[in-house]
Amino acid sequence: MDRIKQLAINDEGFVFDPLTGDSFTVNQTGLFILKKLKEGKTEEEILQEITGEFEVSQEEAERDLIDFIEKLRSYRLI
Amino acid sequence: MEIKIAVSGINAVDNPGPGIGVAKSLLEAEDFSAEIVGLAYDAMEPGIYMDWIVKKSFIMPYPSGGHDAFINRLLYIKENYGMDFFMPVLDAELPVVIKYSHELEKNGIKTFLPTYEQFKLRSKDRLEEIANNIGIEIPKSEVVTSYEELIKAIEKIGLPVMVKGAFYKAYRAFTTQEAVSYYNKIVAQWGYPIIVQQVVSGEEMNVVAAGDGEGSSLGMVGIKKVWITELGKIWTGITIKNEKMLSASQKFIEKYSWKGAFELECIVDTKESRVYLIEINPRFPAWSYFSTGVGVNIAANIIRKSFGMPVKNYTDYPAGKLYVRFTDDLVTDMERFQKIITRGES
Amino acid sequence: MKKIYEKPVITKLQTGFMNKFGSSPLYARKIRKDIDGVPISELVEKFGSPLFVISEKKLREKFRQIYNAFSTRYPNVQFGWSYKTNYLKAVCAVLHQEGAIAEVVSAFEYEKARNLGIEGKEIIFNGPHKPVEILEVAASEGAKIHIDHFDEITDLEKIAEKLGKQIKVAIRINMDTGIHPQWDRFGFNLETGQALDAVKRIASGGKLVLNGLHCHIGTFILEPEAYGREVEKMVKFAYEVEDNFGFKIEYLDIGGGFPSKNRLKGTYLPPDVAVPPVDEYAEKITESLYSNLRPGDFPKLILETGRAIVDEAEYLITTVFASKRLPDGRKAYIADAGVNLLFTAFWYKFNIEIDREVQGSNEPAVIYGPLCMNIDIIDEGTMLSPLERGTRLIFSPVGAYNNTQWMQFIEYRPNVVMVMEDQTVEVIREKENLSDIEKRERLPERLKIK
Ligand SMILES: Cc1ncc(COP(=O)(O)O)c(C=O)c1O
Repeated sequence: MDRIKQLAINDEGFVFDPLTGDSFTVNQTGLFILKKLKEGKTEEEILQEITGEFEVSQEEAERDLIDFIEKLRSYRLI
Repeated sequence: MEIKIAVSGINAVDNPGPGIGVAKSLLEAEDFSAEIVGLAYDAMEPGIYMDWIVKKSFIMPYPSGGHDAFINRLLYIKENYGMDFFMPVLDAELPVVIKYSHELEKNGIKTFLPTYEQFKLRSKDRLEEIANNIGIEIPKSEVVTSYEELIKAIEKIGLPVMVKGAFYKAYRAFTTQEAVSYYNKIVAQWGYPIIVQQVVSGEEMNVVAAGDGEGSSLGMVGIKKVWITELGKIWTGITIKNEKMLSASQKFIEKYSWKGAFELECIVDTKESRVYLIEINPRFPAWSYFSTGVGVNIAANIIRKSFGMPVKNYTDYPAGKLYVRFTDDLVTDMERFQKIITRGES
Repeated sequence: MKKIYEKPVITKLQTGFMNKFGSSPLYARKIRKDIDGVPISELVEKFGSPLFVISEKKLREKFRQIYNAFSTRYPNVQFGWSYKTNYLKAVCAVLHQEGAIAEVVSAFEYEKARNLGIEGKEIIFNGPHKPVEILEVAASEGAKIHIDHFDEITDLEKIAEKLGKQIKVAIRINMDTGIHPQWDRFGFNLETGQALDAVKRIASGGKLVLNGLHCHIGTFILEPEAYGREVEKMVKFAYEVEDNFGFKIEYLDIGGGFPSKNRLKGTYLPPDVAVPPVDEYAEKITESLYSNLRPGDFPKLILETGRAIVDEAEYLITTVFASKRLPDGRKAYIADAGVNLLFTAFWYKFNIEIDREVQGSNEPAVIYGPLCMNIDIIDEGTMLSPLERGTRLIFSPVGAYNNTQWMQFIEYRPNVVMVMEDQTVEVIREKENLSDIEKRERLPERLKIK
C-alpha cells in the first residue's frame, strides 16, 4: 500500500503519482475509497464506511469494491 | 467589436493542426477584437497551454459522435461561456459542422463553410473535372481494385508511378514489382481502392485562399515549400506568384462559388509551364499565418464577411517573403492540465 | 441522508487518449425506456431476454417514406421486398400489405413467398442457384425470372420446350458504377460485352422473351451518384437491346443497396452525417431516368430495397448477465445475446441504449456475447458507466440480415415480437426449444443410450 500513500489526490478527482508521473481520474466513490486506503483502512472497514455514507446495498458495494481494487492492482497502485 | 471565436486544431505539434496559425491571424485584426476559444480533442494539445493566444479551452467529443455529442457540446459552450463564431479547421469536423450549420446559426454560432455539395468536390474522383474547369492539369491516374487492373494501369500510364491509397499513403514505384508490393501493402492496411498515378516532375507549390460564396476572393497567397520535415510538413517557405496557379484558384472560387477557406496543392513544372492539381483541402492549411504575415489576413476577412463588416480588398502581396517555423517551449504547473482533465475545460 | 451511490471508477490518463468524452460522451449516453410506448421492462417480463422487437409503425413509415420518394418523382414504380433481408412472415406480410411484391433468391425463399400467399407473377426470382425443379415451377407460375448465367439460359430453354411456351425473362447485368468492390460475380458483365452476348444467345434460341433488365450494385452504398450511373448504363443498354433485337424492355430493376442509419465499421463519420437521405438517391435515379429515357417512354422502375426499409424498425433487447475486469483493466460485460443473434456485428457498430439512468463516469468497456468463442463480441470498445447486473442494453438498428443470418450455436433463438400500431404486442416467432432443434435428427438404434 506504499504507493497509494504517496499519491497526490485533489478533490475534483485528479490523482497524480509522483513516483511514476502517471495521472488518473477517479469519480466521487473512487475518491472516497482511495482516501480511505491512503489512511490505511482495511477493506472491511472501507466497506462499512461506504454503506454508511452512500445509498447502496452491502452486496453491490462489496462487488464494486473488489472490482475497484482489482483495477488499482492492474495499475500497480497497490 | 468583441467576438468570441472558437478555433479547433490547436495541436501545435510536429504535425501541427491549423488552429494556432488561424488564431494568431484573428488576434492581429485591427478592426475587431477576437477572443480565442480553443477546442481540443486531447488534454495534451499545446494550444490549451498557450494562454497568450488561446484564452480558454474546451475538450470536444470526437466528431464521430455526430449531432448528439458534437453539436450539443458546441451549444453547451455557447451557453456557458460564449461563442459567436466557430472556425473548424480539421477535415474530420467539416462534414458534421456543415451538416448542422443551420442549427448552429439559429443558436447564435456563425460559421463560414462550403456547402456539402461543394465539400464533396474535393474527393479524388472529382479532381479531374475541377482541373479541367479551372484550366490546369492533373497527373494521369487510374483507380484499380485488382492485379490485372494494376498492371493495365501501369502500362497505360508508364513507369515510374505513384501508388496511393484513397485517403492515406503514397509510394513511388519504379518497377512493376515495386508497384505490386506497394499495392499489397496499402490494401492490407487501408483496403481498396488503390490509385495509380503518373509521376509528374516539378516543385510543390500551394495556395491558401478563401471564397466569399458569391464568386469573389477574400484573399489569396501562393507559396513554395522550400524545406519540409520528415513528415512532409513545411518548415521554410517562400511567397511566389505563379500566374497560372493563382488564376486557377481564382477560377475555382468563381466557378464553384466556393465559400470559406481552402488550400490548393499543386506541382508546378516551371520549365514546361504546367500546373498539376494534386489536392484541394476545404480548410486552412497549417501554415496559413504566412499569408497574414505578408499582409493578407484571410481569417480576419472571413470574420468581417460573416459579421457584415467591410471586407478588406487584398489585391496584392509581395513575392519573395520568407516563412520560417521554429520550435519553442513553455513551463507551467499542473493546474490547467488537471482542470481540463477533470472538468473538460481550462 | 445518505449520498447517491455511483460505482467507483478510476482511469489512467494515456497520451493520445486524454479526452474526457472518449468516443461516446457522457451526455450523449442514451436511455431507452420503451419501444413505441411499450416499456422495455414489460416486454422482457412477458417475453424474456434476449428479445427481438420489431416496430410495425416504423416499418410501415420507412417503407412509405422510401416508396414515396420514388413514386412522387416517377410514374411507374414497383418495390420488391428482398426476402433475404428479413423473411419473418409478419415482416413480409406488412410489406406486401404496403404494396411490395416479393424478391427471392432461392428455392426456399420462393416457397416461402408462395406459402405466404404471394402469386408467382408477384415474385421476382433472382440468384445464381435456381435448381431446375424450382425454376420450372417459377416459369410455369409466371414469376419474373432474372437470369444469372449462360447455364441458366440453357435450363430455361429446356423448360420452355417442356412447357410448350415462350418464357418471359430478364437478365441480371453487372457494371462499373464507381463502387468498390464491384459486384461482378453476379449476372453478365456490361463493359466486356458479355451482357450483349447473353441477349444474342437468348434471341437466337427463340424460346425466351427478354422483357427486363436487373442489376444490384452492392449493399450500404453511400454514394447516390453511383445509382445515377447505374441507371444511365441500364437505359442505354435497354435501348441497344430494343433497337437491335426487337425485344421490349418493360422494366428496369435497379436492385437494392441503400444504406440504413447504421455505423459501418471503419467509417469515421456518424450515420446522421454519412448516410445521405433517401431523397438524394431518388433524385439522382429519376434525374438519370429522365435524361436518358426517350420521350414518352416510362418503363417500370423496380427497386429491391432491403436494409434501408427494415433495419431501423428492429431492436434487440439484451441483459447484462455478468461483468468482469480484464487483465488490461478494461471492463467487460457479458450479455445474453452475441454474434449468434447479431451476425451483422462483424460489420456494424450498433447504437447502444440503456434501459435506466446510471450514475458515474464512463470507462472503456467491451461487450461480449454468451458464446464460448473468442470472436463473440458485440462491441469491442465503447465508453459506458458501470452497469449493474440485470441492466438491459438495447441494440439497434438490427432489422436487416440478423433474423435471416443468425445461427443456432449452443443457444436457443429467442422470441421475436412485433409492437403493432395499436401498441399491442404479438409474438411473430416463438423462442425455440430442444424439440425444434432435434426434430430432424435421427439416432441410430444401436447408438441409443440404454
Ligand atoms: C439481388 C439483390 N437484391 C436486393 C438486395 C437487398 O439489398 P439491400 O438490403 O442492401 O437493400 C440484395 C442483397 O444482397 C440482393 O442481392
